[in-house]
Amino acid sequence: MSGAARGPHYWGIRHLSPAGAYHLLSLLNEVKPTAVLIEGPSDAGHLASQLVARGVVPPVAMLAYTEQLPVRTLLYPFADYSPEYQALLWAKQNGSHAAFIDLPTDVSLALNELRRMPITSVGESEEDADAVPAETVGFGAIQQQLYARIAELSGEPDYEAYWERCYEHLLQPAAYQQAIVHFSTELRDLTEEAELRMAPQEVAYNEIREAYMRRRIHDTIESGHQADQIVVISGAHHTPALNLQLPLMTDAEMKRLPRVPTRMTLMPYSYYKLSSHSGYGAGNIAPAYYELLWQSMKRDELNKLPALYLSAVAQQLREQGTWRSTASVIEGVRLADALASMHGGTMPTWRDLRDAATVLFGHGDFGVVAEALARIDIGTAIGSLPEGVSQTPVQDDLNRQLKRLKLEKYKSLVSADLELDLRENRRVKSEDAAYLDLNRSVFLHRLLTLGIRFARKSPVRQNDATWAEHWVLQWSPEAEIETVESTLKGETIELAAAYVIHEELLACADIASAAKLIRKSCDCGLPQVMGQATHALQQLAVDAGNFEQIAMTVHELSVLLQYGSIRRIDTESLVPLLQQLFLRGTLLLLEASGCNDDAAAGMVSAIHAMSTAAQEHYQEVDEQLWNAKLKELAERDDRNAKLSGYAFSILLERHEAGEEECAQEVSRRLSPGIPADIGAGWFEGLALRNRYGLLSRPYLWRELDAYIGSLDEEPFKRSLVFLRRAFGSFEPREKAAIAELLGDLWGAGADKVGEALQRPLNEEEKVQLKELNDFDFGDL
Amino acid sequence: MEMDQKQAVLRLPAEKLYANELEALRAADQDAKPAGWQLSPRSVLTFLTGGQVGGTTISPKYIGNKRLVEMAIATLLTDRALLLIGEPGTAKSWLSENLTAAIHGDSSKVVQGTAGTSEEHVRYSWNYALLLAQGPSDQALIRSPILRAMESGGIARFEEISRCASEVQDALISILSEKTIAIPELGREVAAQRGFSIIATANTRDRGVNEMSAALKRRFNIIVLPAPSSLETEIDIVRRRVGEIAASYELNAAQPDEEAIRKVVTIFRELRSGVTLDGKEKVKPPSGVISTAEAISLLTGSMALAGSFGNGELTDEDIAAGLQGAIVKDDAKDQLVWKEYLDNVMKKRGATWRSLYSACSEMNG
Repeated sequence: MSGAARGPHYWGIRHLSPAGAYHLLSLLNEVKPTAVLIEGPSDAGHLASQLVARGVVPPVAMLAYTEQLPVRTLLYPFADYSPEYQALLWAKQNGSHAAFIDLPTDVSLALNELRRMPITSVGESEEDADAVPAETVGFGAIQQQLYARIAELSGEPDYEAYWERCYEHLLQPAAYQQAIVHFSTELRDLTEEAELRMAPQEVAYNEIREAYMRRRIHDTIESGHQADQIVVISGAHHTPALNLQLPLMTDAEMKRLPRVPTRMTLMPYSYYKLSSHSGYGAGNIAPAYYELLWQSMKRDELNKLPALYLSAVAQQLREQGTWRSTASVIEGVRLADALASMHGGTMPTWRDLRDAATVLFGHGDFGVVAEALARIDIGTAIGSLPEGVSQTPVQDDLNRQLKRLKLEKYKSLVSADLELDLRENRRVKSEDAAYLDLNRSVFLHRLLTLGIRFARKSPVRQNDATWAEHWVLQWSPEAEIETVESTLKGETIELAAAYVIHEELLACADIASAAKLIRKSCDCGLPQVMGQATHALQQLAVDAGNFEQIAMTVHELSVLLQYGSIRRIDTESLVPLLQQLFLRGTLLLLEASGCNDDAAAGMVSAIHAMSTAAQEHYQEVDEQLWNAKLKELAERDDRNAKLSGYAFSILLERHEAGEEECAQEVSRRLSPGIPADIGAGWFEGLALRNRYGLLSRPYLWRELDAYIGSLDEEPFKRSLVFLRRAFGSFEPREKAAIAELLGDLWGAGADKVGEALQRPLNEEEKVQLKELNDFDFGDL
Repeated sequence: MEMDQKQAVLRLPAEKLYANELEALRAADQDAKPAGWQLSPRSVLTFLTGGQVGGTTISPKYIGNKRLVEMAIATLLTDRALLLIGEPGTAKSWLSENLTAAIHGDSSKVVQGTAGTSEEHVRYSWNYALLLAQGPSDQALIRSPILRAMESGGIARFEEISRCASEVQDALISILSEKTIAIPELGREVAAQRGFSIIATANTRDRGVNEMSAALKRRFNIIVLPAPSSLETEIDIVRRRVGEIAASYELNAAQPDEEAIRKVVTIFRELRSGVTLDGKEKVKPPSGVISTAEAISLLTGSMALAGSFGNGELTDEDIAAGLQGAIVKDDAKDQLVWKEYLDNVMKKRGATWRSLYSACSEMNG
């Protein structure tokens, strides 16, 4: 083509293609263009130079996000073998002008919104309009079918294998370019009609992009670059449409493009993320393998790749403890070569290598090699950006904090445990060092509040160690994106966290969640927000009348008061609030206890929370009154029997009730006239606490025994249900102890009963038990 | 005359059964043939997975994962020995026979692994009368199928290798690594000609009976053959094989209709996987093997019943009798499993399943 000599050099690529990058570099070296134009957001010009700055380690990504909530984002990931990335590098090394020429992100994000909307043309009925989005899905399916058909025709197991065999392994420059141009033109022709019919939005969107790109190419020529000194790099799909003969976008048209304000930043990316999906929708399944392919290509040692890959897999397997010999690596390479030759290929594809690994290393079982393959194919590589390279203020702050708190090494894709001791470390000099773990905890809590998935808090295993915290840290590109999104909430992590809690506070409508927010702001080391939250709680507390909520709030406050000092936060202001709420809770106890059995479960934990608080803060709160109310609840017959029993068990535990009282109460509660469900329900409540306390009081069991003995057949059956439930939560050891106690009562002697219990069942008893299993509880 | 002989043979080896297909492939073959091979690897693949060559339709022999067949052929290309592993009835022997037929043209060099297989079956033994009369000589030597394959550069098949005692298995190690068999009595060594290889099969149910040694495993490329991946694939396999078998055994019964095959395959798949096809209900699997091959023999058995004692039409009673035999093996528990399946799953399937359900329930007692 003589026209091509005068026009710009067009270079169609597949994103993330090592062969594309390889051939592109030789083209660039041959043409030595003064301008390199790349398909990418044209407002990212300032990032282009930073992408290739010293110290940048791919994979990295450009991230565009809207300035307003809800945040919408666009990602442009680059690996070392991205042709675009190599073009940028080349331009920098050779002092050429490099620019992105696709629609700026403010336009593409605005258009993205429009693309998602169903199309309604004039005169169409509602139902027709509804059918359009469904058909858009249909076009994706058509594309997939086409890919599947290509794979089938080529005799390859899948489209990726076809692509790799036919393009990635093709190292003759002319053949490569010809093949790719031919392929993408044909593909475009094949799908154009269907796309226009089924996904007109996509066609329109691409039209706009291509007109814009043509305009940018035109402008570059206008600005003084020789047309044949320009190399244009775009997805192969767009290459035919970038011909300057086609209409350019006019100024007027450009003005009419919709826009939403956006900002852009760079972020480190990971191969893992690249493998799952990418901004282009055409990611790599195996980025680490492609990296290996790219390195071998650069060194001109493509033929060594199979051996390299399979050795790496064998190495990985050995590290995991599965021994595989060098001989099996050799046989693996031979098998992969044979598979390649059956497909007329020059060298094995990734798929061939994987299958060879399955046969030779896995002995036919993919499960054996799956993990090792994942490590070698995807890997745990994560990119990095040096300091000073464009980032959002929050990203900068995050990195600063990580450094200050010595957490940088945790910024890895492999999860790591972190144990924190919040107490002051007295053996170090500076205050920063003394409270390092506390500061770390505050920082991690702030990230948690912001929803940045870097740290996960594990429940503390040892209940008493309030100064210990256990975290699991794992970095991911998602966490980076979430960090960037936090920019809109504040300039630093601290400000953003304060903003989030403040927002939650405004939406908070009950005291329990207000109390949680106080706790949260305390954890995040934000005293000011904590003050606001306390104030909000005070206001809400005026109207609070729900016993359970009050109890939970009292619990939160109590925890804060006890352990606030370890977080070096002043909690004195919370005391009056605790007193006020505790008093209210105490007064509400009796009324709230008149509930059914379903509600009683929640009440039990609420009563427990109040009792614990009463003990912990006996100086601050009116413990006397609480105990009096508990006593009243224990004695009343018109409240929920289970709760009365529970209240009595607390009194028993506190020695507020002696043996005599206890015996009396038990016999009163379990006297023959009382309905079985109430009697047994009371006992169930009693048995919820302090089992050893119960087991050490034989008179209690005497009374229970007498009670059960006194029941008639019908009430006995009813009580059985409740008693069974009460004892259901007992451990086997405890049950055995009860049996021994009862054995003693019946004069059998504890030892003999114990022996009898240990004896295996005989056949007759088994039959009897089996019959019991069929017992119908339906009528109870 | 020869034609008559062919028809009288109960079961033809693959190379005879598909002689015309192999001939068509050989005629059309353009690609290079590896040493000792009758066909190019690509033609072997076509023979196994089906296709069109010239005017001849090549019927697919192995339906399912084409990639597995490719891997098997590639293994033989690298003159490695091939070991096919799988549940009973996953077409291991079938694939082995057809591979051998296509590559070597003679699938009859078979060692059948049993508890009684001895090292002589693997290497060589003697005609003792001749041995006593003449002393060790070539005439007195009885060559094992493997030895014959080595001499002719062909493929020997070793069926159910894991059922042999381990010392017999180990006799293979030197054959596979040195590719020679020493005959000290004759003072010579037989070295394998190019093209020699072994295709062995082993059964996952026999695992642990005679576990293969690591040294032997290392000398095979191992390919695991799965149960058919989808209902449609399995129905396809069953239909094809039932048709082929019915034709060669001259069963006087009509082919089972699509619906009957679908029902049998559905029952088999559900019992095998322990869950109904829609994934909603758990099913107890029976103790025995519930393979595709069992489904095929069940249906041909039912056809024989219908042809010999019925009117030639396959009825639900015939299928029920087959199902009973296939699913309820010697174990009494199977009867309960089958009953549970009938009542919990089949009964609820509505009118189309009703008569099969009644027939099966009656049969199961």
